[in-house]
Amino acid sequence: MFGSIEVQLALLFWGTLVGLDLVSVGQTMISRPLVAGAVAGAIVGDLPTGLQLGIVFELFQFDVLPVGAARYPEYGPATVAAVSAAHFSGGALATGIGAGVGLLTGLLGGVSLDLLRQLNVRAVARAAPLLDAGETDVLIRVHVGGILRDAARAALVTAVGLILARIARTVFRSALTTQHVTLMAAAVAGAAVAVGAAGVLRLMGRTPTLKWFALGLMGGSVVAWTL
Amino acid sequence: MTPSRPQFGLTLLRLLTVQGSWNYDRMLGIGFGVSEEPLLRGLAENGDQGAYRAAVARGTLFFNSHPYLAGMAVGAAARLEYDRAAPQQIERLRAALCGPLGSLGDRLVWAGMLPFAAAAAMSAIALGAGWKAIGAFLLFYNAGQLALRWWALRAGWRHGAAVGSALRNPTIQRALALSSPAMGLAAGFALPVVIRSFVLPFPGWARVVFAATAVLALAGLRLAPNRLSGLRVGLAVVALALLGGWLWR
Repeated sequence: MFGSIEVQLALLFWGTLVGLDLVSVGQTMISRPLVAGAVAGAIVGDLPTGLQLGIVFELFQFDVLPVGAARYPEYGPATVAAVSAAHFSGGALATGIGAGVGLLTGLLGGVSLDLLRQLNVRAVARAAPLLDAGETDVLIRVHVGGILRDAARAALVTAVGLILARIARTVFRSALTTQHVTLMAAAVAGAAVAVGAAGVLRLMGRTPTLKWFALGLMGGSVVAWTL
Repeated sequence: MTPSRPQFGLTLLRLLTVQGSWNYDRMLGIGFGVSEEPLLRGLAENGDQGAYRAAVARGTLFFNSHPYLAGMAVGAAARLEYDRAAPQQIERLRAALCGPLGSLGDRLVWAGMLPFAAAAAMSAIALGAGWKAIGAFLLFYNAGQLALRWWALRAGWRHGAAVGSALRNPTIQRALALSSPAMGLAAGFALPVVIRSFVLPFPGWARVVFAATAVLALAGLRLAPNRLSGLRVGLAVVALALLGGWLWR
């Protein structure tokens, strides 16, 4: 019902990698919801749900501009938890339940990033005299310590997300009708499109890029209409 | 004397973790120092342990920029260490590069290349490309980001104190000019295609719910951008849909 322990461990491992990629290691964008969701979908054996939730959270991701010390939700491990919740609640139509779990996990991920940065401040402050003396070993230790803390953080966030997914499945399995699940999926999809559109409009501002956006909108509409 | 074979490969590998110890105090400083260290080993090999340690210590001071372009400052600062520049000059250079590298990276990558690639991948998935879209997204994006990181590191090392001229590189300027329109075009194209894939499995009444939520949420986000965020809107919609569904039964 919730997948084997191997599936849950694979999701936990994947969520940890995804969380690490966001800031600390690589930034190769496996942390983007599209990728995180597709792989999570493959792990649970339900690629369509993974891709569907990947798009939903990718649209939410457009709301985030990770500049400087900005605080933002973390949607990578969130998407992994969302896919777990949706798949074990009935697949692609259960994206509303998945999105609820994912958004809560994303909120937790954002808070945990802030805490991690504060822990890193303390670690650097403790090592400051040796860092300022040019001790290479200490420098490497502080840096690797930061990466290990982030790995632990990402694992914890993913684990909490997977627990939330399990709770959501248990609570909502008998409580929600098909109609209710569809209502949630439709509302979440609408919200995701709105957030994505608002994010893109904010990125562009009142610049000539708007003309290109309008052109793309027309092209996309023609394709969507003719398919 | 500069080393005959600077360790660019190891430096690039370390730059992949430049944000590993990101913190509110020195920001990228520790990651900067870790990344710069392999380039500084020549100082110790020249027999000047004091210069090496002082350079490593300087590398760990406050620094912030776009992570993909931090290598440019790393390369330039390391080059100045070999040129025996005054410590104040190296610190001034690092401070001066924070803003331009941050701004360039934000415009080129966060507001250009990344949303462009993500929007294109979303369109491809919505049109049925599946895994191929994910693979193409990762290949395209990472080819770009690795090339950018490598170029930035080499340009910083090559130009040293005159690294500002590297920012006027014609290829970078062309990419900057193209990235924003490409992002707009891809994002505009993606929206209707994604909407179609979303609403296709829904019955008529659910399509009305979809449209009403999208319009109301977009209006809220545009009218009260400081009070509403995507996360808040998402959580509120999930809560309302949950409640609405129960009332509807």
